[in-house]
Amino acid sequence: MRQEATGFASAAAGSRRAPGRTGWWLLSPLLFWALAFVVAPAAIMLVYSFARRGTLGGVVLGFTLENYAGVVDPVYLQIVVRSIVYALLTTLLCLAAGYPVAYVIGRADPRWRNLLLMAVMVPFWTSFLIRTYAWVTILKSEGLLNSLLLQLRWISEPFEMLYTPGAVVLGLVYTFLPFMILPIYSSVEKLDGALIEAALDLGAGPLRAFSRVIVPLTSPGIAAGVLLVFVPSLGIYAVNDILGGGRIDMIGNIIENQFKGNARNWPFGAALGTALLVSFSLIYWLVNRRQRAAAQG
Amino acid sequence: MNRTARRMLAAQGALLATGALALASHAEELDLFAWSEYVPQAVLEGFSEETGIQVNYESYASNEEMLAKLLSGAASYDLIQPSEYVIEALIKEKLLVPLDHAKLPNLKHIGQEYWSQPHDPKLVYSVPYMQGTVGIVVNTAKVKDPIRGYGDVFQDKYKGRIVILDDALEIVTWALAMQGLGPDQVSKANLEKVRPTLAKWLPLVKVYDSDSPKTALLGGDVDLGVVWSGEAALLIQEQPDKFAYVLPAEGAHMFIDNLAIPKGARHVEAAHRFIDYVLRPDVSRKISQDFPYTNPNLEARKLLSDAERANPASYPPGSPKLSTFRDIGPLGADVDKLFTDLKAKSGG
Amino acid sequence: MNRMRGLLATWTGFVFLFFYLPIAILVLYSFNQSKLNIVWTGFTLDWYAALARDSVLVRTLKNSLIVATATTAISVVLGTAGAWLLHRYRYRASGLLETLVFMPMIVPEVILGVSLLIFFVSIGLELGYTTIVISHVTFCFPFVMAAVQARLAGLDPALEEAALDLGATPLQAFTKVLVPYLMPAIVSGALMTFTLSLDELIVTYFTASARTRTLPLEIFGRVKKGLDPSLNAISTVFIAVTVLAVFATEALRRRNP
Repeated sequence: MRQEATGFASAAAGSRRAPGRTGWWLLSPLLFWALAFVVAPAAIMLVYSFARRGTLGGVVLGFTLENYAGVVDPVYLQIVVRSIVYALLTTLLCLAAGYPVAYVIGRADPRWRNLLLMAVMVPFWTSFLIRTYAWVTILKSEGLLNSLLLQLRWISEPFEMLYTPGAVVLGLVYTFLPFMILPIYSSVEKLDGALIEAALDLGAGPLRAFSRVIVPLTSPGIAAGVLLVFVPSLGIYAVNDILGGGRIDMIGNIIENQFKGNARNWPFGAALGTALLVSFSLIYWLVNRRQRAAAQG
Repeated sequence: MNRTARRMLAAQGALLATGALALASHAEELDLFAWSEYVPQAVLEGFSEETGIQVNYESYASNEEMLAKLLSGAASYDLIQPSEYVIEALIKEKLLVPLDHAKLPNLKHIGQEYWSQPHDPKLVYSVPYMQGTVGIVVNTAKVKDPIRGYGDVFQDKYKGRIVILDDALEIVTWALAMQGLGPDQVSKANLEKVRPTLAKWLPLVKVYDSDSPKTALLGGDVDLGVVWSGEAALLIQEQPDKFAYVLPAEGAHMFIDNLAIPKGARHVEAAHRFIDYVLRPDVSRKISQDFPYTNPNLEARKLLSDAERANPASYPPGSPKLSTFRDIGPLGADVDKLFTDLKAKSGG
Repeated sequence: MNRMRGLLATWTGFVFLFFYLPIAILVLYSFNQSKLNIVWTGFTLDWYAALARDSVLVRTLKNSLIVATATTAISVVLGTAGAWLLHRYRYRASGLLETLVFMPMIVPEVILGVSLLIFFVSIGLELGYTTIVISHVTFCFPFVMAAVQARLAGLDPALEEAALDLGATPLQAFTKVLVPYLMPAIVSGALMTFTLSLDELIVTYFTASARTRTLPLEIFGRVKKGLDPSLNAISTVFIAVTVLAVFATEALRRRNP
């Protein structure tokens, strides 16, 4: 079960072979891609993070640590913390809301599964901007939700929903929920119904069957979902800009400012990005290593 | 090589070939890099029909975005559309090609006051495209008190009912204006001077929005705004009896968006022809129709409808106190940091 | 147990309602008279007519579809191959490679965009479809890889052994046994990739050229002027076409299982 519980590490020990020439040959496109389009651009950013700010905001190559000094400045750290909090909240809410949906789709009649999946994704094939502005139309003071609530006489005055942290969280959950549902779905899909039946027959209540049987078996999907929601949500800038009234700056906005705003300070943006990248790559790599060790142990 | 790898290489090859084929030849073209939607499709088509020159229109949403792509050297552009303070910086860095006025006979239509602005006196490198102001929009149905300037807007009684531009430099200059300082007096010392003012103002703000501040005003979530005149003009066009536009008595920002030719342009001749085309009164008038900013082309103004000329956001009455922005160089970072800090502390 | 099932189904219905509420608004407002897309002023079909005349918008949609399809195809191949290879072989650099592959997901889009742009410039690759697709694939294929890896984590190695014992070649074992097993994860990864690529804005800004302008860039460009309902119209048309296509394929599939 413990091997199943890892999202990152792969199969049980023993079935993994040494690569040999074929193994490396087959891996070469991936290696090439990683080197060319991940390592090289990252190296460029790293170099920029030590550069000086040019007059028009670009870089003057050189070496200075002033950008990294800026990164640990309390002004920006408060925003880093805020971003992490919102990302965590979003992930938890997506997990809570998305798991049941993934479960239902995964256990649904095979004829309907793909249709249901498409139904989940179709809304997100519309423009992000238009979708988000649709939420503005719904949530604003003279918007649809308030009009409805006023008509039903549940409230006497328009309720302030838009331009609040709540609206931002709603927007974030809306944006990332599919990315939690899809990976969990593929784990649920391979659940053997017989195992669940057996657990229930042996007297486990639905809750216990869930926590002792279903969750561990679908944990790779859960782990993948958490990864695919938490990490990207750290870099968001647009949802909070529109739904939060631009008051709730996140790391993404700060970095954007350096390249696309008044600050015109690429080296500082590069330093922020590199710091973000290094922190999370490190965490990911360490966790991954532990999982691999556990899987092989 | 297994099938997977082979398929991948084939796919990549196909893509590269497609990319290569998609590159048209460089004869008779114009690479225009301008603000999104700032050049109406009708104008582009009209130009192409008349001259046979194909226009490739790439757009950006902020001056800095434009600079990012321009400075990277990825593509060569023939025309860019920077705001006045960016023109100043570009001239300083010698990144603009001087204009040949002989090729721009329609330049004479540009109003006198635009020929002596600090960023490009005598219009050596740039031609004004559209001018605007940053001023106060009032929802007169909700706000009954007279609003004459920033001081009237940022009062405690309007807390949570204000929208302003999400622009650190703008906001700082408003605070400077309260103390009688102009946009050309941005300095570290003055930034500290206005910190208390900003610390008082920002908690009163409900929405920061540079892209579409009219959204908040139309949605009823805010009653006052300090926004671009074009946004105000659109609001007044939409609901004329509800919204009013006031230029702050303490002093307002007048911005001028310009056309200029960057160094490295491949079609300088075509660029000049386009500039002259846009300066034609009838063409300029079309631009005004889509963008109710202030048209610097006096002949074009004569062609506007009475309603358009009467829109106080487009053509503010009286002689208000206006000033353009200057290039503040490295202080941009300090301005941004001040704004970020105070915004975060004002609760969000 | 049935009550549990009922509850789950109700919750799922609620979530779908949540997903489609803004879409319903979006579709509704495509018939809105006011061009400012924020208040409803009346019913009209004008915007659909405007769409027919708006060749720029249609062209950008076409570009977006081309890019999204290419991106999905390449990402599925790279992601699945990567996940399977790392599962099957014990590379020493496994951990490092995985971390590298997932890095683009962490990097804020602005940085990814600028650094890729500088990289393309420095190797002399001109901006266009190729550069856009490369940048999209770079941050999309980790999604496929994560989904497939999760699915592989529960793979019974005996399955593949059995196939080989029964006389299948390694390639046949791969295509006839493994790929069908991985299908749900591949499909889920492909859907995520297609979605991400279709709506990608910032990275695309930096790696596209005037000719290869995509729909999100075009829409974002129109924000200042006001998101007029022709944009809602094109989204509505797109959804309608997709839904029809999906139903058509399902109908066909059922007729020839």
